[in-house]
Amino acid sequence: MFKKMTAGVMALTLGASLLAGCSSDGADDGKVTLELFSNKSESIETYKGLIKEFEAENPDIKIKLDAPPEAETVLKTRLTKNDLPDIMSIAGNATFGELGRAGVLEDFSGTDLAKTVQPSYIDMINRLVGPEAEGTFGLPYATNANAVIYNKAKFEEHGLEVPATWDEFIASLEKVKAAGDTPIYFTLKDAWTGMIAWNSLGANVAGEDFAEKKNAGETSFMEKYDEVADKMATLVQYGHKDNMGVAYGDGNNAFAGGKSVFYLQGNWAIPEILKANPDMELGVFPMPVTNAPEQNKLVSGVDVLLAVSESTEHKEEAMKFAEFMMNKDTAQKYIDEQKAFSAIEGVYQEDPVFEGIKANFENGTITSFPDHYYPAGMGAENLVQEFLIKKDKEKFLKKMDSEWEKVQNR
Amino acid sequence: MKKKNSVFLIITIPAFLLFFIFHSFPALQGIFYSFTDWKGYGDWNFVGLKNYLNVFKDERAGDAYLFTFKFAIVATILVNIISLLVAIGLNSKIKFHKTLRAIYFLPYILSILIVGFIFNFIFAHFLPQIGDAFGWEFLTRNILGNPDLAWIGIVIVAVWQAVSFNTILYLAGLVTISEDLYEAASIDGAGVWTKFWKITFPLIAPFFTINMVLSLKNFLMVFDQIVALTGGGPGKSTESISLLIYRGGFEGGEFAYQSANAVIYFIVIIVFSVIQLKFLNKREVEN
Repeated sequence: MFKKMTAGVMALTLGASLLAGCSSDGADDGKVTLELFSNKSESIETYKGLIKEFEAENPDIKIKLDAPPEAETVLKTRLTKNDLPDIMSIAGNATFGELGRAGVLEDFSGTDLAKTVQPSYIDMINRLVGPEAEGTFGLPYATNANAVIYNKAKFEEHGLEVPATWDEFIASLEKVKAAGDTPIYFTLKDAWTGMIAWNSLGANVAGEDFAEKKNAGETSFMEKYDEVADKMATLVQYGHKDNMGVAYGDGNNAFAGGKSVFYLQGNWAIPEILKANPDMELGVFPMPVTNAPEQNKLVSGVDVLLAVSESTEHKEEAMKFAEFMMNKDTAQKYIDEQKAFSAIEGVYQEDPVFEGIKANFENGTITSFPDHYYPAGMGAENLVQEFLIKKDKEKFLKKMDSEWEKVQNR
Repeated sequence: MKKKNSVFLIITIPAFLLFFIFHSFPALQGIFYSFTDWKGYGDWNFVGLKNYLNVFKDERAGDAYLFTFKFAIVATILVNIISLLVAIGLNSKIKFHKTLRAIYFLPYILSILIVGFIFNFIFAHFLPQIGDAFGWEFLTRNILGNPDLAWIGIVIVAVWQAVSFNTILYLAGLVTISEDLYEAASIDGAGVWTKFWKITFPLIAPFFTINMVLSLKNFLMVFDQIVALTGGGPGKSTESISLLIYRGGFEGGEFAYQSANAVIYFIVIIVFSVIQLKFLNKREVEN
């Protein structure tokens, strides 16, 4: 009896797996099909528009956009299978560093395209790859800013001023709370959204060289992040009723609907908020982390860089697309739609929303994302999320240290 | 006899080859790499049993094991109780029982990710609204955002989806029982309860066995539901072993280390399935 049934079940599953393996790549009608892999759900529409333009200019090239959820993990999976997409539009973070070290990306150093990029961002992505592999394995394209977004109407209603110090910031949160309103709309069901505040705090409190020193064993979270953890815990007290139960997408809608005064997010959330409420008046300012205003830096990193697979069969066409993207008009269009900043020299974000952080870009009070230098696979965002629920600082900082070392030692 | 053998071979060899190429061979590769320090790309060296020793020292893996077993045992028990009840209901002479069977089978056809996103909406918007309306404090927050309750949300979704498949298997079992037995039992004055325990349950024992084994195995490998609902959060409270292996292996560049974890897990699942079969086969009636 049992044997018969197992055979039946086996036959079924085998049949199903066979069918699953039968996907074809579509007909080839003399066109070259390139795959563009993107890690951002926010930019899908923008890319679709740009691809249309590019295809109109280059009728013999077809671009297929692929923007899956958990994109970075998907990309690593494909790296393992030696099946990298032709063109990648990914963030300048630890995953990019790993791809660069693996030697699977085209080196752009010395090319004309790389020369159009602001040198500081080229340095930033080279630092991510580290000294193990010489070269520039991507073209920094769009840069971002971690900020405090605020609802201008509500801001005035509560009679607030843009805070320049941590104490002023807390005082304004307190004022909103006392008035019975929600100060900050947290979306901590998506663990990564907790890293926005974490990065602003960490970059300003623990210093830029934390990761290098940590790897050399000269410092630790215990030592440097005590104040960061305290301040994180303070911020969460100014949230709403269900800080842990709301996800990013819902948070954008809630903030657009006037559910809170402040929203800790990056510039990438602004188009999403405006989609939900086109008439909304928004403002941004860098989170004032310390009580010395001149020391507060804005956290900004490479949000999107373009990389080309080293082993692609259509390198020429892929380069064509990269050239099209790096063109100033295209770049301008991208940052206008995405409310981002451009890494390309001479392309500026003129949107009045960014009045509050413009100064940082002009005088260079900018620092990079600390968590881009954490070892991938440490899962820092989930650890931070856990800490915000349990509030056990000692244990949490110890765990951050031990997880880092564990991943390093494997 | 000879002819029978050749037919048998013609049928089994392609199946065996396919299975070996797409299943056994990659599994063997994984076992091989678990003794190396391969990151998934690039160079590698042999490191012996280091990965295996590290798994046993890994707190995160320990937590994942605890969560997965808690989840799998609860879900298996619930699924089998519910699907057996549903199957008995659908097997009785009620109106529309064919239509109802089709409706009950629907959840199984839907993609788990889609189901997960729908339930995500229910947990995030629908239930808190009900909680607000009735003043039930515990419902006013999204349970997926609570580390102590999030696993229950995943159990609900997983069970809702899995019941349909197991119901089909139980229905197949119930059909094999002849009506005469029930008639004879009725004449002897047996009630509904007695009929179930003395006739139905013993006679569908083989189906009960396969259902228990399959559902425990499936729930131990839980993955999609968690990706769609919580992504392993809040914190790491709903990180299952499959998710840990996938995340650590690909995202964290710990391919070899997580291969070792996978090998250990493979052995654990086999041991559990064998124990289940031994134990449950004992009580099957020879028919």
